[in-house]
Amino acid sequence: MNDGANVTTIEGLGTPDKLHAIQQAFVKHDGYQCGYCTPGQICSAVAVLDEIQQGKPSHVTADLTAKPLLSVDEIRERMSGNICRCGAYSNIIDAITEVAGGKV
Amino acid sequence: MKAFTYQRVSTPAEAAQAAYRTPNARFIAGGTNLLDLMKLEIETPAHLIDVNGLKLDQIEPLPDGGLRVGALMRNTDLAADMRIRRDYAVLARALLAGASTQLRNRATTAGNLLQRTRCVYFYDTNMPCNKRKPGSGCSAIGGFTRQHAVVGSSDACIATHPSDMAVAMRVLDAEVETVKPDGAGRVIPIADFHRLPGSTPHIEHVLEPGELIVSVKLPKPTGGQHFYRKVRDRASYAFALVSVAAIIQPNGTGRVALGGVAHKPWRVEAAEQQMPQGAKAVADQLLAGARPTHDNEFKIPLVQRTLASVMAEAKKGA
Repeated sequence: MNDGANVTTIEGLGTPDKLHAIQQAFVKHDGYQCGYCTPGQICSAVAVLDEIQQGKPSHVTADLTAKPLLSVDEIRERMSGNICRCGAYSNIIDAITEVAGGKV
Repeated sequence: MKAFTYQRVSTPAEAAQAAYRTPNARFIAGGTNLLDLMKLEIETPAHLIDVNGLKLDQIEPLPDGGLRVGALMRNTDLAADMRIRRDYAVLARALLAGASTQLRNRATTAGNLLQRTRCVYFYDTNMPCNKRKPGSGCSAIGGFTRQHAVVGSSDACIATHPSDMAVAMRVLDAEVETVKPDGAGRVIPIADFHRLPGSTPHIEHVLEPGELIVSVKLPKPTGGQHFYRKVRDRASYAFALVSVAAIIQPNGTGRVALGGVAHKPWRVEAAEQQMPQGAKAVADQLLAGARPTHDNEFKIPLVQRTLASVMAEAKKGA
């Protein structure tokens, strides 16, 4: 089903010595508690910023034909497939927003 | 999960033939619904035919101004295509309202049409379900039915079709193109594609054994303002309680289809004649003969209010 696909896991994003910017931001903003969902949150966050950059629209994009904004609403909507049972969402959003260069 | 055999195919006709010849075979594309159902042993295919290599993942412009959308086009790619965003915004909006990004990245156009109900009793293999086990009874009737159908249901089944995309395709008058095991093609209007449950709720669509969806044809753009308003228990990543797909022209005429209320995308063309009279008139005719339960009778006024909200927004934007 995924013949020929490339798969990037959390190990492929950064190392303990050289963290990916999103990993760094999760540490800084305490974007986790138990850590169970964290690899998925970080992989999704990287993809979310890339998808916004590519101009892919989301459910909250007001103008479908315009480039989507790098806003908190966009990030929230696009991250909704990643569930955090500890409820670290607000810190996760802070971490992603910082890397995106937006205001929190 | 039950053990199964697996094959890849290289042409639609080969896929259809393999599915026709092999007992208890299923096509697999994105797998976002079928794999879950297999893990729960709600679906127990003996053989999977992987259609991902069929190269049906493009959009082709048609001479009449419409578009042919490949069956394997991923929901994300379809919603991101500028032609869809510009000329078929109701479809882009519906796609983006469904599931999560991860699921949309894998889920395909044809798979979305063929996804199965999210009725909790269908998912609970300890409970009778006419859809899962024909003749065993319906546990939803008399059960917890907040999510269930209010119109077009039967004494055998009150499940809903979960798709958002299909509701938009219904309002666009899309057509489903298929290939049969003998290699012949067929075009099925979306209105005729999904079935009402009647006494055979396990038969959900009109595809014949082995018949494979290869594309969906969108007629030339209708213009007008496009809306897909989805009402759900969470703001994201949740199935619709009620959804309204609408295309409204500057003179107030238009088209409306509903999700979350029936076993198929729900549209009553005659009701659209009532649009100049307002949302109540349209909703009354759309839901004429509705048989809600105590748990889901709220959907009747909710349809009317959601439609009223869409029509008010259209008036503002006209």
